[in-house]
Amino acid sequence: MPRGRWLTRNSGGLHWRIGPTFVVLVIAGVVVMGSDVAGPPVRIPSNVAWTAETIAMASSGDAFRGSLIGRRCDRCHGREGFSSSPSVPNLASMDRQVIWKQLEDFGSGKRSSHVMQPIAKSLSLQDSADVAAYYSMMPIFSDPQDDRAFPQPLSDPRHEAVAGRLIGSGDGSRGLPPCQACHGPIGFVMGAPSLATQNANYLLEQLDGFASGSRANDINMRMRSIAMQLTEDERHALAESYGAGVAESGFRYAGK
Amino acid sequence: MCRYDSLGEESSERLSNSNSKNTPPDHEHIPAESGWDARKRIRVLLISVALICVWLTVRFPYEAESGLEHLLNGPNQVNPQTLHLRGEFVESNLGPAEESGGVVVRMIAEQYLFVPHCVVVPTGVPIRVRMTSADVVHMLTISGTNDEVKVVPGYIVETRMQFDREGEHQMPCREFCGPGHYTMRSRLIAVSQEQFRKLSPQERVNCASR
Repeated sequence: MPRGRWLTRNSGGLHWRIGPTFVVLVIAGVVVMGSDVAGPPVRIPSNVAWTAETIAMASSGDAFRGSLIGRRCDRCHGREGFSSSPSVPNLASMDRQVIWKQLEDFGSGKRSSHVMQPIAKSLSLQDSADVAAYYSMMPIFSDPQDDRAFPQPLSDPRHEAVAGRLIGSGDGSRGLPPCQACHGPIGFVMGAPSLATQNANYLLEQLDGFASGSRANDINMRMRSIAMQLTEDERHALAESYGAGVAESGFRYAGK
Repeated sequence: MCRYDSLGEESSERLSNSNSKNTPPDHEHIPAESGWDARKRIRVLLISVALICVWLTVRFPYEAESGLEHLLNGPNQVNPQTLHLRGEFVESNLGPAEESGGVVVRMIAEQYLFVPHCVVVPTGVPIRVRMTSADVVHMLTISGTNDEVKVVPGYIVETRMQFDREGEHQMPCREFCGPGHYTMRSRLIAVSQEQFRKLSPQERVNCASR
């Protein structure tokens, strides 16, 4: 039986030669995969992730306790949640998850501000949730006593048409979604604030920050991708139009 | 009775005739040189171990991952809420990256963008596109090609493509995903390999200059 003897002689050799080869192959595969995983340094835009626990935490605030903490915010953000300076954001009736996330990002340094970072660091998670609950419950109507900067007149009447198109229908040719699909009133996504009563200068600063990358705490690069595509004129137009209160149709703001 | 029965009988008869002298096969007394003796068992075992090792280590064409990766990663699932914290879809890992024998492009579909919003890829090399969704179901379509990928939150989907000509492709979303769906559109630009090599990682995900 020459065929059988051939097998007998070689089966041992086959075993001893190929066995270690398998081991080497497996180790090499693991090494290759390991090197594949270790890529460039990881950049994390925000430590906040909208898991069910985070949303429960951000929504669990006690508005009365928040109102006591919020006394310290009055000076800049206004007693009625409307700031007297157009560079400081209005907080009245903003979503509590939005305020909570920004406070967390200020506290962890993911969003930079000389004023807000030390303040946010001193707040606990529950403090942030309480303050957020307080401001989210504030009404937006005006009264003769408050000194709000909002709404401000448009510097150029043509801005309203440019901004109206972007807010209402976006620009499909550049892949720019309509602002109102995320910032209201027709749609909201988690973490996107309502912009209907926001101040012009503040919005312009944030849009420029997203466009240049100096503000980069948006999850999955949403706002950076959009703001990067906007021209400078469009950023001005959008900020001024929101700051003039054109976003909420059917509601007349009492001018100053 | 039945045609198949008679056929089967015939063929079995023919087989048994050709094999041996019309006796039923004896499973207990198989000649040593043709049966399952110890040496043959070792050989089959070694071959199957070799095949398993190949399956574990080699990433075959048109498969998303090697077997070991599949065992380690599970069935290609991710948590859509924590994409930006860990895993392969952190923002520094998005966009095209060179790998052995081609380019891998990682993208996130979210309301109402494909991120990165613009991707530059080289022509003439195989491209793996790995995607997942951060919120709802989207569908990536690439104009000028027949590629269409459904992107479901919680799962990583992978598709392979190759561009032979330079040019710009639109990547609209083809699955209604919300009020901004109609403007959800990103761009893919195929450039020559020399040009691709010159681009920095930032320029490969940014079409502002193009």
